[in-house]
Amino acid sequence: MNVIVCVKQIPDPATPGALDPGTKTLKRDGKLILDESDSYGVEMALQLVDAAGGGEVSIVSMAPNGEVSGMRTALAMGAAKGVLVSDPALQGSDALTTAKVLAAAVGKLGGADLVIAATESSDGYTGTVPEQMAEVLGLPSVTFAKKVVVDGGSLKVDRQTEDGYDEVTCPLPALISVTAGVVEPRYPSFKGIMAAKSKPIDTVTAGDLGVSPTGWAGAGQEIVDVAQAEARAAGEIIEDDGEGYTKIVAFLENLKVI
Amino acid sequence: MFEWSDEHRMIREAVQRFVDEEVRPHVDELEHGDLPPYDILRKMFATFGMDAMARDRFAKQIAREQAALDATARCEEPPARTESGDDGGGLSLIPIIELCRVCPGMVTAMGVSMGLTSAAIMSKGTIRQKQRWALDLLTMDKVGAWAITEPGSGSDAFGSMRSTARRDGDEYVLNGSKTFITNGPYADTIVFICKLDEGNPPEQRKVLSFVLDRGMPGLVQSKPLRKMGMHSSPTGELFLDDVRVGLDRLIGETEDLPSGGRDGAKATFQQERAGVAAMALGIIEECLQLSVQYARDRVQFGRPIGEFQLIQEKLARMEVARMNVQNLVFRTMEMGAAGRSMTLAEASAMKLYSARAATEVAMEAVQLYGGNGYMSEFRVEQLARDAKVLQIYAGTDEIQITHIAKDLLRT
Ligand SMILES: Cc1cc2nc3c(=O)[nH]c(=O)nc-3n(C[C@H](O)[C@H](O)[C@H](O)COP(=O)(O)OP(=O)(O)OC[C@H]3O[C@@H](n4cnc5c(N)ncnc54)[C@H](O)[C@@H]3O)c2cc1C
Ligand SMILES: Cc1cc2nc3c(=O)[nH]c(=O)nc-3n(C[C@H](O)[C@H](O)[C@H](O)COP(=O)(O)OP(=O)(O)OC[C@H]3O[C@@H](n4cnc5c(N)ncnc54)[C@H](O)[C@@H]3O)c2cc1C
Repeated sequence: MNVIVCVKQIPDPATPGALDPGTKTLKRDGKLILDESDSYGVEMALQLVDAAGGGEVSIVSMAPNGEVSGMRTALAMGAAKGVLVSDPALQGSDALTTAKVLAAAVGKLGGADLVIAATESSDGYTGTVPEQMAEVLGLPSVTFAKKVVVDGGSLKVDRQTEDGYDEVTCPLPALISVTAGVVEPRYPSFKGIMAAKSKPIDTVTAGDLGVSPTGWAGAGQEIVDVAQAEARAAGEIIEDDGEGYTKIVAFLENLKVI
Repeated sequence: MFEWSDEHRMIREAVQRFVDEEVRPHVDELEHGDLPPYDILRKMFATFGMDAMARDRFAKQIAREQAALDATARCEEPPARTESGDDGGGLSLIPIIELCRVCPGMVTAMGVSMGLTSAAIMSKGTIRQKQRWALDLLTMDKVGAWAITEPGSGSDAFGSMRSTARRDGDEYVLNGSKTFITNGPYADTIVFICKLDEGNPPEQRKVLSFVLDRGMPGLVQSKPLRKMGMHSSPTGELFLDDVRVGLDRLIGETEDLPSGGRDGAKATFQQERAGVAAMALGIIEECLQLSVQYARDRVQFGRPIGEFQLIQEKLARMEVARMNVQNLVFRTMEMGAAGRSMTLAEASAMKLYSARAATEVAMEAVQLYGGNGYMSEFRVEQLARDAKVLQIYAGTDEIQITHIAKDLLRT
């Protein structure tokens, strides 16, 4: 069984992010790392391939400046190879263009039995790329997968819902988006880290993949303004004179919490 | 080499994550409770495949040694040694550095077991002895202890050594007591260093090393001793009362090792000294990072204390120490990658400097933290207590100085 995982490389969430005042998009000129959301997809793919007893995990990513740091993390965990789409022409691309590019990258790898993405990325979090990819690739897709089992030619998915989960069956090949926390992403072994450097990453441009138009020109939408989120209103401070609890109880009753 | 490679950095990040998730939450139990460090160390070995790598390396070394023995038996040249793409020891130094930021005692326990004890067997033992004892130490499956120090003999380890082996038929009878032995209370495998008593004066006696197993009749392993720091490394005493062993437990299975028992022990010292530099680096990096943060956050006289020049001087000295010790660690790695090793004097100089630097930095971090620095709640308090022992074990500062001077004055 061959699985392709979408891995987004994002600015380290531990360091404060900044918006480019000109383009109103996130600045991505520093080192990028593997989006934690995608580490679950990588882990799930490795487990599925293991369970199938053969095949391999490949990764696709679209990122500026030929960035591969985050991809290396996925390769160190056990993925075999990757395709990176990096191209100045992609600057300003919206989610649909991203989906077209990633779908073309999946095609470049010759497709797979299963494509995995995260439900939403940690930096852009539109949560729209996976479904758009499925549409472009003409694959059935299941979102919010929290448990995935391959059963012959089909996929059994527990799909997270607000109050439980649905049991969904879907034919392969397919595309799924997985929720965070579904599996425990493994630590890369030292051997895996040392081996990751020599695993192949094919770096291509949008043009190589035949995707156009891209960037600002290709975007069907425009970012017209960016505004500060409203600051949270200051809370009420209650000095406890021994009767403070009555005020808390009244507050909670007012909220109809108790 | 002036910085860590991309791979090294990935390894550091992975180990940091492990330390955050698996070590930090247990620091209290490790330092002030009764939790021995071995299970967490084993988990680290399994997580990063360090056990599998040790097994691979071991199998290759044994195959190489066997091939050399076979060739010698056929009166042929032993096959030339092909160097593998070694990274100079980064894979073992990085876990030392990262663990030392939080729990230097764990490194002491690990280093003595899979480093010192296994090295004593791997450098002088027969293939059979290596297979019997060393592999399990290298993988951390078993806990090892290396026992040379005695109540009456420390710096003058060989001169004042009173532990003895006496021949008795095909066997040896071992007697003596050892103290300050890392992992002593929990060790499965113990390398016991003593003198062969043939009725001759002690200074003429041969030094022999034996491998003992936990539970052998006549062997008593004490409870952990209470000490100033390194609480997560159990340290104890060993008592031997007529412990009977066969030749199979004498390292090398001969009383006349080509380079003698004393040299074997010296080679072990050397490896230990390089490890101390990596430990010092971890302690220094952590103390510096914590100190910079505190200098920014702590406000007195209406200003962050980092604005006071006396505090700035502390930070600057810590940074100098960090750079120097990091350079020493890089130097060991580069020399390792080039297949070279330091002279005893160089290794001693490195150990002397790193140990002093770690202690100075950690004590200054306590000072910079003021009253908080003296409180266990703040991490620098533990690190300062832990750092001090780097100047005492693996040869005291004074002994390192004598080794350096001896080499400088050699004619
Ligand atoms: C007009 C416009 C211009 C924009 N210009 C820029 C720009 O110049 N630079 C910029 O950085 N962003 C830009 N963006 C934002 C950008 O479109 C989205 O961040 C990006 O397309 C992915 O969307 P997302 O992160 O919301 O993905 P989501 O739909 O939240 O992602 C879900 C999952 O899809 C996969 N995935 C998504 N993106 C990638 C990827 N790149 N590689 C691999 N897998 C992926 C991952 O598995 C991810 O977890 C622009 C958006 C608009 C509307
Ligand atoms: C936490 C811990 C773990 C240890 N683990 C082990 C272990 O696993 N195995 C093991 O065998 N040992 C171990 N030791 C013992 C350690 O190696 C010795 O404590 C050390 O070598 C010093 O010996 P000593 O304590 O007898 O001090 P002494 O030798 O009595 O030294 C006392 C003082 O005199 C100084 N001194 C001695 N000789 C000279 C000289 N010629 N010139 C100038 N000054 C001199 C010393 O530097 C020191 O300051 C451990 C010790 C500690 C504290």
